[in-house]
Amino acid sequence: MFKLDLYKLITTSVALVLSSTLLYGGSDTSTLPGKYVSKMGAVDGGVTYPRKNGIYTAYRYNEQSTKGVNFGRLPTANELKAWDVDIMPDGTGLPDGEGSVSEGDELYEKQCSSCHGEFGAGGKGYPTLTGGNQEKLPNGVIKTLTNQRIEPGMEAPKRTIGTYWPKASTLIWYIRDAMPYAHPKSLSNNEIYAITAYLLAQDAIVIDGVEMDDEYVLNKEKLMKIKMPNENGFYPNIDGPNGVENVRKFFSDRAKNIGSGTRCMKDCKDLSTKGNEPTVMKIDNEITDVVPPYTTVRDLPPEIESKLESKAEKMYNDACKLCHGSDKMGAPVVGDIEAWNKVTQKGFEKVVHNAIDGMGGMPPKGGFENFTNSEVQMIVEFMINSSKKKQ
Amino acid sequence: MGNMKIKAKEKDGVVGVKAMFTSLMADKEEAEKKKIASEFITQIVAKNNGNVVFEVTTSGFMAENPLFKFSFKGKAGDKLEVTTTDNSGKTETETEVVK
Repeated sequence: MFKLDLYKLITTSVALVLSSTLLYGGSDTSTLPGKYVSKMGAVDGGVTYPRKNGIYTAYRYNEQSTKGVNFGRLPTANELKAWDVDIMPDGTGLPDGEGSVSEGDELYEKQCSSCHGEFGAGGKGYPTLTGGNQEKLPNGVIKTLTNQRIEPGMEAPKRTIGTYWPKASTLIWYIRDAMPYAHPKSLSNNEIYAITAYLLAQDAIVIDGVEMDDEYVLNKEKLMKIKMPNENGFYPNIDGPNGVENVRKFFSDRAKNIGSGTRCMKDCKDLSTKGNEPTVMKIDNEITDVVPPYTTVRDLPPEIESKLESKAEKMYNDACKLCHGSDKMGAPVVGDIEAWNKVTQKGFEKVVHNAIDGMGGMPPKGGFENFTNSEVQMIVEFMINSSKKKQ
Repeated sequence: MGNMKIKAKEKDGVVGVKAMFTSLMADKEEAEKKKIASEFITQIVAKNNGNVVFEVTTSGFMAENPLFKFSFKGKAGDKLEVTTTDNSGKTETETEVVK
C-alpha cells in the first residue's frame, strides 16, 4: 500500500533529521559552538533560541517531553478495508457484474447525456468523453495529444477516454464512485458495467481483437483485457512497487529523458548576427487624453486655502471686528492669547452673558440687537477659539 | 465503428434519429489558419427503406463532429441508411435498424 510506504519513508527521514541535528550541535567548532550568528538582512531578525550548554539555534527548540508521542497506530483490518476501495488496473477491486452496450446506451441517455452530450461528445462545462483521433505517430504517441496552441485558432490536445486515459479501470471506478453527478453511487454493478461498455464502444475500443457492437457484453474478465490506446503515453511508470525506482531512474538521465540545454543569464543573444540587433520598443498608440494628465512627478496635490468662512466668522466680521479687530477700543483683540485667557477665566457662561448684556464700553450684543442669544454664543465661541494657542 | 454514430428509435409511429458524424468540418479558410488540409461534409442523405427522409447540404460553417437530430414516420425494424459526401467526393454509408 502506498500509504504504508509513505509511513516508512516519513519515519526514516524524521530519524535522519533528528540525528543530523544532534550531530550539528556537537561538531561545530567556530567561535561559539553551535551559536547562531545573525547576518545582515536576516529575515527572522537574528532571533536566537538557547538550547543547552550555551548552544543557540535559529529555531525554537521544543523542550516538551516527547515520551509517548508517536505517529498514531496502525490501521485495523476493517479501517483498511474501508479505505481500500479503489479499482486498480490489475483488476483489484473490480465488482462482479456485466452489462451490454445497448443497455448502457439507454442508461447513458437517461443519466449522462444531459451533461456529457449525445454520444459523449461533451457539453458546456462538462468533459468530452468520446471523439478525438486515435491515430498514432511512428513513435507511438497519439497524434491529437501533440496539438499545441502555438498559432491562433489551432486545436488544443484532445483528451478523451479513447485518446488519453491509460487504463479502463479508472473509467469504471469513477463511474461507480462519482457518477451520476447529482446522485452518485446510485447505479448497480451491472449498470456501471453497461455504461462503461457504452462509453468504450463510443470510443471505438477493441477488446481482445473484438469490436464492440450493440450486443457486446462487458464483464470483469473482458475489462481486464482492455488495452487503451494511450496506455504507454504516460512515463515513467509510477505504478506498483517499482514506481519510485522508475521515477528515480527516469530523472537520473535528464539529458536523454527530459532534454538539457545550456543555462544562459547574460548576453544570451549574439547581437552582431543579423536579425538579433537590439531595438527600442515604443508605444504605438499612446492614450494621452486623460484627466488628470499623466505625470512622473511624485508630489501631493496643492493644498487650496479654504475661502469658506463659517457663519460665526461672517457675523464676527460684520458686527464685532470693528472693535475686537484692533486694540484701539480697549476691547480684547481676537488672536491676543493673553487677553482672552483673562476673559475666559470668568467662565464661558459669564462671557456669553456679558456679550449679550453688554459690559463696560460694549453695548448689549455689540449693538446688533437682531442677533439671537445663540448667535452671540456662536460668535463668542469663534472668538475664543481663534484666540487659542495654535496646536 | 465507422465515421458516424447513429441512434434510431421508434415511438408512437415516429422514428427519432440522432446522428453524429466524425469530420473536422474545416473549410479552406479555417484549414489555412490551423495549417491542416480542408475537410468537411458537403451532403448528408438519410433513406428509410429506400425513401429519402432527410437531406441536407453542409459546409465548414458547422462545428467539428456535427450532431444531427431528425424524425420521420416509420416503424421499428425499418432500415435506415445514411450516406455522407465530403469535399473530396468521398462517400460513406452506414445502415442502422430502427429500434
